[in-house]
Amino acid sequence: MINVENVTFAYPALQPANAPLPVLRNCSLRIEEGMAMAVMGPSGAGKSTLGYLLAGLAPRHTGGTVSGTVSIGGHNVLTTPPEIGTVGLLFQDAATQLFNTSVEDEIAWGLEALGLTAGEITQRVEDALTRFDLVTTRFRSPWALSGGQQKRLALAALWAMRPRSLILDEPLSGLDPRGKAEVMTAIEALRQAGTSLLLTTLRPQTARRASHIAVLADGRLTPPEPAGLALQDESPLIASGLIYPSDLWPNLSPVVTPGRSVPAIEVKQLHFSYTDREEALRGIDLAIPSGQFVALVGPNGAGKSTFARHLNGLLRAKRGTVCILGQPVGSRPTGTLARSVGFLFQRPEQQFFAPTVREEIAFGLTQLGVPDKEARLDHVLARFGLTELAGTPPAMLGYGRQRTVTLASLAALDPPVVVLDEPTVGLDGRGLAQLLAWLSDLRAAGTTIILITHEMDLAHRADRAIAMERGRVTADGDPTAVLANDPAWSREL
Amino acid sequence: MTVVFDTYIPGASFLHRLDPRAKLWATFLCLVLVFLLPNLLCQALFILAIHIILLAVDIPIRVLERLWRQMAVLLVLILVLQPFFSPSGRLLVALGPLWLTSGGILRAMELALRTAGMVFVTCALLFTTPQPALVRAFVKLGLPYAWGLTISLALRFLPAIQDLFHTVRDAQAARGWVAQGNLLKRFRDYIPVLVAVLISTLRMSDQLTLALAARGLESTHPRSSWRELQMAGRDWAFLAGVTAAFGLFVIRSGFSP
Repeated sequence: MINVENVTFAYPALQPANAPLPVLRNCSLRIEEGMAMAVMGPSGAGKSTLGYLLAGLAPRHTGGTVSGTVSIGGHNVLTTPPEIGTVGLLFQDAATQLFNTSVEDEIAWGLEALGLTAGEITQRVEDALTRFDLVTTRFRSPWALSGGQQKRLALAALWAMRPRSLILDEPLSGLDPRGKAEVMTAIEALRQAGTSLLLTTLRPQTARRASHIAVLADGRLTPPEPAGLALQDESPLIASGLIYPSDLWPNLSPVVTPGRSVPAIEVKQLHFSYTDREEALRGIDLAIPSGQFVALVGPNGAGKSTFARHLNGLLRAKRGTVCILGQPVGSRPTGTLARSVGFLFQRPEQQFFAPTVREEIAFGLTQLGVPDKEARLDHVLARFGLTELAGTPPAMLGYGRQRTVTLASLAALDPPVVVLDEPTVGLDGRGLAQLLAWLSDLRAAGTTIILITHEMDLAHRADRAIAMERGRVTADGDPTAVLANDPAWSREL
Repeated sequence: MTVVFDTYIPGASFLHRLDPRAKLWATFLCLVLVFLLPNLLCQALFILAIHIILLAVDIPIRVLERLWRQMAVLLVLILVLQPFFSPSGRLLVALGPLWLTSGGILRAMELALRTAGMVFVTCALLFTTPQPALVRAFVKLGLPYAWGLTISLALRFLPAIQDLFHTVRDAQAARGWVAQGNLLKRFRDYIPVLVAVLISTLRMSDQLTLALAARGLESTHPRSSWRELQMAGRDWAFLAGVTAAFGLFVIRSGFSP
């Protein structure tokens, strides 16, 4: 059982002279055995921090000040660390919590910490491998697994320790529909086994899976309500910037651009392979006219990102040709192609290096020697609501803001072709609204957009959908027709 | 793509199944042997023997070829430069202060073969032993657990940091970054990439601290070990065999310390 009473928590300030940064204010929550509670909240609301508090990691390992009590199974984890193995925490980025060289060693590590005998450990490792469908990966490196497999492995390693309480921080974020289904099945099995579960999420679809929902916004936690009731009226969730339902989205329909005959992208018989064994792209033929908005869909590992990386020379064709705006990509360096093709990567937090948001956004403009740099900077900062944050280090921002900074960096360059690799991952309603508003601007300006996504609502708004599977284009045309086939990977939960 | 630091080549041969501690001891003796072998012929035969053993335990020949290719530059450098540092015997050519001598060439060839011998002996261990087993062996031989864990973590995170480097470089290139010009200029150009990698690495290590704590690293509870290393009969026999062979060689060659 988890019982949070009147907890207030603040992180230490970045500079000692400043006031501490408050995250949670007088939060209370109670989760009985076998109960699943979802905590929803916009990005930066403190959901991960709540998880760290419950797992006894904050403030012990993160610093900060806390008041109130957090008891897990009757034991106040704020005063003394929880008994080993009583509470498990699934990190938002599960890859960072895996630190062994093989899958089975990963599961065994915590069991060794519990001091179990070799026989017991073998038994539990086997159970966990079977239960989380990881038997075939047992000797592989955790680092080499897919996102869904990594989450399942992290869960398996936690479950093997038989915790009575489990905290899952955004367990489905960043997964394709198949990965989501896999993880959800695993979570449901845990709940049925009598574990108290708390999961944090941005998405109502995920929250609906829990029995109760509490909302965390502006440091306050609302009293939990039964899931059906809490989601009946979405307007408070919309108002707090948590969600942005698709019926409110701006118009992304085609804007006719006066006849430019040269296609923006022309790809002929493109072949590519990472290893000698298997081809990742097996002959792609595509012509994308200027100004078209194309959604690229398909299961993980279909070759979508591999294809996209050929458009700005991050990968080079083994066979075949790629032309951008009528010019072959050939051996032109990526840094030069950046003038024509802008690229939005996943994992924005890995890209920051500049001491301030302004300098971060200025980087591309400086590299490309854009003349009206300062004016563009001011415009973009204002456009994305970053003017007040211009002097803040981007690495210190929350995920949602970081994503905004990467969007702004790309928008500042204003290239004629834009490639977006899973831009909606981890975005709350406010972030999504910002992305869609920008997309709608791009449409109006006649920019060619290539969007890789698992978000079928968004794919439906494109002019054209291209489905890929196993390195080939399997369907191409009107989104309604392409997405209507309802292949397994496109089914939302 | 990631350079894989894991050198282990899975197999079920005699050498694969040996206790890593027995293999460590044999590796140590072989490394000493490389320095004791008296002449070029013995050195060459020794390397040939290692090749035969490795092929016999199902290490693919292309792996051995790759190893030679990777060593090639080093070996050529030794062969070209070393003669001038140890002139002895007959003078063949004098290039100003540089003397090319018959003894010098012989020395260089010996050194090159020794280097190759050491590399192959070490790789014989690494090819047939999974890294976690090696770390367990060191811990069992008295290395503190924290050190063993540190080695495992390094093995796990080096490829991760390398991946990160590629990700960041790609991301910067997509924003117009090009490294060009002389070495110093290039190095300066790489600074934004390195800073981004550093920030992410620090973040990763923060998360790792939490991950280790969350799974009970700091627990005072004594740890158990899942795969307790057990010296079996064949391990002892192997240990005795290599030690006896080594002793015999030392006595026969009349080596005296």
